[in-house]
Amino acid sequence: MKAWVESLKSGLPGKDVSPLQFFGKHGISVAFVVCVVVFSLASSKFLSADNFFTVVMQASIIGTIALGVTFVVIGGNLDLSVGSLLSFSTVLVVDLHDKVDPGMAIVLMFLFTLLIGAVNGYLIGYLRLNSLIVTLGMLSAIQGITLVYTGGKNVDIADQENTWFAFFGREELFGIPVPALLFITLGIILQIVLVKTGFGRKIFAIGGNGTAALFSGLRRNRLVFSTYLLSAFTTGCAALILGSRVMGSQNNVGEGYELLVLAGVILGGTSLLGGSGSIVRTIIGVLILALIQNGLLLLGYPYYTQWLVTWGVIIVAVWLDIAAKRGKLLSTY
Amino acid sequence: MKTQINSVRTIGNVGKVLSIAGAVSLGLSAMAQAETFRIGITQNNVGVDSYQTTYEQAFEEAAAEADNVEAVVLDAGGDVARQISQVRDLIQQQVDVIIIWPTDGQAVVPAIKGAVDKGIPVVVTNSNIAEAGQPLIASFSGPNNIQQGAYAAEMMCDQLGGKGQIVQITGKPGYTTAVERQKGFEDRLPEVCPNVTILDTQPGDWNREKSQRTMEGFLTRYDSIDGVYAADDNMGVGALNAAKAAGRADDIVFIGATNFAVGYEAMARGEYHGSVYQSPAEDARNALKTAIAVAQGQKVEKLSYFDTPKITPENMDEFEKPVF
Repeated sequence: MKAWVESLKSGLPGKDVSPLQFFGKHGISVAFVVCVVVFSLASSKFLSADNFFTVVMQASIIGTIALGVTFVVIGGNLDLSVGSLLSFSTVLVVDLHDKVDPGMAIVLMFLFTLLIGAVNGYLIGYLRLNSLIVTLGMLSAIQGITLVYTGGKNVDIADQENTWFAFFGREELFGIPVPALLFITLGIILQIVLVKTGFGRKIFAIGGNGTAALFSGLRRNRLVFSTYLLSAFTTGCAALILGSRVMGSQNNVGEGYELLVLAGVILGGTSLLGGSGSIVRTIIGVLILALIQNGLLLLGYPYYTQWLVTWGVIIVAVWLDIAAKRGKLLSTY
Repeated sequence: MKTQINSVRTIGNVGKVLSIAGAVSLGLSAMAQAETFRIGITQNNVGVDSYQTTYEQAFEEAAAEADNVEAVVLDAGGDVARQISQVRDLIQQQVDVIIIWPTDGQAVVPAIKGAVDKGIPVVVTNSNIAEAGQPLIASFSGPNNIQQGAYAAEMMCDQLGGKGQIVQITGKPGYTTAVERQKGFEDRLPEVCPNVTILDTQPGDWNREKSQRTMEGFLTRYDSIDGVYAADDNMGVGALNAAKAAGRADDIVFIGATNFAVGYEAMARGEYHGSVYQSPAEDARNALKTAIAVAQGQKVEKLSYFDTPKITPENMDEFEKPVF
């Protein structure tokens, strides 16, 4: 957080920094502020502590997954399996909640979720298979496993009122909804891991130039492997929130979430080619997507405006990012 | 039937003409008494949800019970290409009727045309196909989604006592079921309850968590909500979750459709106020019944709906808890 504030200060427009560079670097923060201001002016309901926490809570499931996926993407890979992994993990934790007990259910859920992350990581890190193909295949494979496991049935927690499992999705701590708290806390920890530890710097290195990193003595296979463990772990955390919030799960509850996650990561300016990105900016990216959804709903716009506005915001964000890198808005060749 | 013909043939050369005539007449009379129909079905995606799983079981049971039916049961696994080739297989096997649960209402139309061109009538089950295919098919057997929407409007009206402000959470945009239920609801509501207004309509994508998020938005935006209509119980329970978290559930009437186990249980707890009971077994039996009628050359309605009654806290004892 501190590093981010400092980088924000150093990037303020001065005689050395053009406005374009400023927007390229901090466009996402500017967009966040613009969204908040516009929606606040348009709807009296928007700017309240309650609604703010609602937005953060709504963003927490997509957002928590996006934290881990940011590591994967910075490392130069993709993870498209997180949507169906979310379905699988939620089904598992909800189903086992009644069959064993809540604590054991959580342990087992994380075990199986990390196992799937490890398979992804092994195939991509050690066998050097293409991450798009591996995780796309894993997306369907997990969907199949989930269906076999449930036999097509929805799973539900029988006694929803008296279980401490409600803590993760339904309760508040210090007046803040627990999902929001989990999301932000995990985000701060992972931001520190990313920018302050050797592990984080190595992830940047393998994503920026894998071959060079390899020649510098970095264990690329092990690092890539660990990014997939991380994305599986954050997906498991999201499954806790989702299962507890809904107290049940459909087989396809996470369907399409992988693209929402990726949209948040891209909006946060993390390069799909790897080597650059930031957890804090991913958090802001995911929050902007949630703000758009919440704000437009409060204003009473039909649902498809959300899609259009989201698309528009992503295009502008990516454009500004590229424009800042080349120093002008349009490409001349 | 086969043994009868054989026994007639063993009479031998003596009365050859007689025997052939006898075989023909015996065969014809046997066919009139208990003609066996071969009915092929290609389903959408068995195993993806418990509705489709129960449907298949019920279909096979009903086919086994009917002594004049030989069923060929196939499943497309949600894959349009596989379904199209399954229709071709059924044409090759020269079944008497093909039942199809479309994986895609548009893409299967040419395959249906292929069957009809070969003289095999087609019955569509559960979800209807595109307009272009309508003249081809013998019948559509399934739930009347418009009627279901209308039922929901009537239950909403009853529960609200004719007055109030409600919100609507629809299914996935573009899905026929979602569109029809919305239309049925919105057309019927002003007829029975002109003083009930719909404040807002947003999609919940058949997803309980999405519906919960949508409802949270509604609760922030509107200080007074008297009722929620959700296009299925999964989403209805999502809306209920949101309202409970905001401490406003007691003031709101919840009406859904396609009664799920969670909706049934919430209704038993007194938190949920109405839904539409759609039985997958009834869906399957109706499809088979329609197909047999088509095979026998009876005149069948183009739209052969099965009954999907209202379920409310008052009459829920008459219904079993749904399996899905």
